[in-house]
Amino acid sequence: MTESTTTPRPQPGTDGGTSAGLEVLTFDLHGEVFALEATTVQEILDMIPATRVPGADHFVESDINFRGRVIPLSDLRLAFGMTRSRNSPEARIVVIEMPIAGETTLVGLRTDGVREVTTLSDACREPPPSVGMRWRPDYIRALFRQDDEFIVLPDLDAIFAADLSGPGGRLRPAN
Amino acid sequence: MTAAILVVDDSASVKAAIRIALTAAGYRLAEAADGAEGIARANAGNFDLIITDLNMPVMDGLTMIETMRTMPAHAGVPIVFLTTESDETMKQRARAAGATGWLTKPFDPEQLVKVARKVLGR
Amino acid sequence: MTPDPTETFRIEAAELFEQIEQGLLDLMQDLDNRELVNAVFRGLHTLKGSGAMFGFDALAAFTHHCESTFDALRRGDTPVTADVAGAVLGACDHMHALVDAPGAPGQEEHGATLLAALRAALERAGSAAPLEHMSAPTGTGWRLRFSLPPDSMANGTNPLALLTELRDLGEARVRADLSALPPLEALDPMQLHVGWEVELRTSAPRAAIDDVFIFVMDTVDLRIDSLPPADQPAPVGPDVALGPAPTGSPADPAADSRWSRPAENVRVPAERLDEMMDRVGELVIAQSRLGQVATARDDLPLRAISEEMERLSGELRDTMMVLRMVPVSTLFGRFRRLVHDLAHETGKAIELATDGENTEVDKTVIERLADPLVHLVRNAVDHGLESPSERGAAGKSSAGRIRLSARQEGGEVIIRIIDDGRGIDRARLRARAEEAGLVLPGQALSDGELLQLIFQPGFSTAAAVTSLSGRGVGMDVVKRTIESLRGSIDLRSTPGEGSEIALRIPLTVAIIGGLLVRVGEGRYVIPLAAVEECLELPLEQDRRSQGRAFISLRERLVPFLRLRDLFATGTEPDPHQKMVVVSTGTERVGLVVDQIIGNHQTVIKSLSRLHAGIETFSGATILGDGSVALILDVAHLVAAGQQEEARMRRTA
Repeated sequence: MTESTTTPRPQPGTDGGTSAGLEVLTFDLHGEVFALEATTVQEILDMIPATRVPGADHFVESDINFRGRVIPLSDLRLAFGMTRSRNSPEARIVVIEMPIAGETTLVGLRTDGVREVTTLSDACREPPPSVGMRWRPDYIRALFRQDDEFIVLPDLDAIFAADLSGPGGRLRPAN
Repeated sequence: MTAAILVVDDSASVKAAIRIALTAAGYRLAEAADGAEGIARANAGNFDLIITDLNMPVMDGLTMIETMRTMPAHAGVPIVFLTTESDETMKQRARAAGATGWLTKPFDPEQLVKVARKVLGR
Repeated sequence: MTPDPTETFRIEAAELFEQIEQGLLDLMQDLDNRELVNAVFRGLHTLKGSGAMFGFDALAAFTHHCESTFDALRRGDTPVTADVAGAVLGACDHMHALVDAPGAPGQEEHGATLLAALRAALERAGSAAPLEHMSAPTGTGWRLRFSLPPDSMANGTNPLALLTELRDLGEARVRADLSALPPLEALDPMQLHVGWEVELRTSAPRAAIDDVFIFVMDTVDLRIDSLPPADQPAPVGPDVALGPAPTGSPADPAADSRWSRPAENVRVPAERLDEMMDRVGELVIAQSRLGQVATARDDLPLRAISEEMERLSGELRDTMMVLRMVPVSTLFGRFRRLVHDLAHETGKAIELATDGENTEVDKTVIERLADPLVHLVRNAVDHGLESPSERGAAGKSSAGRIRLSARQEGGEVIIRIIDDGRGIDRARLRARAEEAGLVLPGQALSDGELLQLIFQPGFSTAAAVTSLSGRGVGMDVVKRTIESLRGSIDLRSTPGEGSEIALRIPLTVAIIGGLLVRVGEGRYVIPLAAVEECLELPLEQDRRSQGRAFISLRERLVPFLRLRDLFATGTEPDPHQKMVVVSTGTERVGLVVDQIIGNHQTVIKSLSRLHAGIETFSGATILGDGSVALILDVAHLVAAGQQEEARMRRTA
């Protein structure tokens, strides 16, 4: 955390991460700005119809067709306890690839809108505060303060691991 | 997909015997007790073969076969009728009505499966 | 990427060894069987030739002696004795070693010892008068020409079924006779305009050929002539392009076998089959989308092409399915040798019975089952079967019986290993489990739970890990392997009577026939193989059974599940609910859905790791409109239905 007035300005398209920074894709979620490591991003899709998967945890409750494969569509808003995503013209699905329980897995993430590819410099990085934050600290990897706004880097490993640790296969009949 | 066979006969024991033999051979079975029910079942389902007795109440086998052959939905579905060895006239009438083949009573499971395979080609 | 030629030979050699060993084992039970002698000779001959081609000189030299032995046997210069066959069988392992580890120390001496034993066996057999030569039946050749009246199909006659029946009799070459085909404008699609000419080579009697036409005897125009017998039968017809015969082996043995043995093998790397399978899967999906577009448009030529493509991709799919499926006989075959060896090593007499060898399983599954099965069979022999004296004392036959059985039930293949040995001693099992820390003394366990402890890692059932069973493949590894195939293991045992292990493996074909249904707003696929029937749920039954989910179906009670409730759709039910009755072969459950949409060629896509734990679904598929539909896991739903039934019974 620096108090200098000359905050290093991130340049888009910088050769990722050499200047002590992390290359990310930023996106909107519930009025906040989130980021994903650019190396994990496979593709950005317009919203497409998703198929509900009964019995799945609520924030991975549907599947989509991505290039002929069936992958889960995750609504991170639900993971963070926000209200459910609503479809808006700017909404996009960001498909990422990440290891889950040792297997490289594709997951689609719903967003309210995609911003840009940029580099978050380590100098702007802050650890998540232990109190007073809206969301679960264990789901946050880091916060970045850049250009007077907070950018949240979620800890996807933690979020999806929590899903796996829950009992799979419970299907609760409505009655 | 396994073939579906409709068995039409008013005798529960004959149907049971046929069912045992054909399901063991891997076919799927449905049943009807007379010609009218046979037509209703055939209309409601999708059968690859119909095996029918000739002598039944409500509607006999001959009438059922004749009727089915006038219905485009059932044109071309193989129909095998059960007959006793000696009844040549009945046999001819059934074939004239549009039956594909026959099975002589009493028959054993092997013959039954053989005729089913012959007529279905699988 | 050209495969390493030595590797190619090794693979071929493995197949030949299996062929030779099986042949020898069979021959020892059936010494008069000339077919077997010829088969073993051909195998040895090919092995020698290919071995020489690829530089395995020691193998070629050694095999040469075995080959000449069998040459003498098949010419009748020496009588066939179990002794001689046994000596060659004993030499098989040495030949294996000459392929796997040529030049190992002591090999030459070992080889010399074996050859001495072989010579001794030959001398004992003596050279009696040469046996009468009986040429292997190659069958008679027939040429059939037949045509049926144009209206034949109206009464359900299927000419293709006739051709299939002819093909079942032997080798057939079929040519269509299109001379009676009218011009397109005059063509009536419901009429038959095609005749056929078939060249058939069969050992079946003429009556069997006539029998094919029995139902059409009075209308068919049929001519049958016999063909002159050929010394060197022409290769099989235009359909299958057989790859070049394995390099180095002379053409004759292969050609001889084509008429008397049905299948010639073409070697294809398994990954290529998998790739093809993927491509076919994509093709099926794309074709389905094309079909949707074509139906929506008013474009006749487009629709015609789309239908043609549907037919072609369907056929391609069927062919692919067949290519990947392999009969379990290839697996069971190995066990005869294994049991033979085990009997020698343990001094126990063992009878091995198998059934269901023709049951087919996906190729990858076969390969992964091999080791677990070997372990299970060794276990059964080692721990299950008693010595002949113990068995005598217990009033059992002196030979222990092991049965391997394979059966397809619903969407699964069930492989059973059954022995009539001493069964599992529960007290010892319990003691061992407590020792291993898997269970606390005094902890209550059901019999089923106790038996399942055998599959826990860290549990070893033998006081001493014998050389037979201790190869680093424990029961826990067996269980994990089966589970990685999405299968399950069942263990049953009666002390004093024997044990049975059942392996249930789902058919892993990637494309299945499916029934597409709608529940609420979602669409789901039910594997067609498990579907018994579909019916409409009568309104009164629907209303009446609010607290009692049973329906009476032809005098049997079938439990049913309302998928709408199970999936918590939150939607209102359609007015006429439909029920799809599914079964696992022995148990059934009815699944109540809002709408039955129709058949759907389902390309199975696996679910993501994040959804894999949901037991209700076994996979997903992509529908013609690009959306995703989940595939129901019938076994799980049937089990759920059974639980419901049990619950109802208890509260009733």
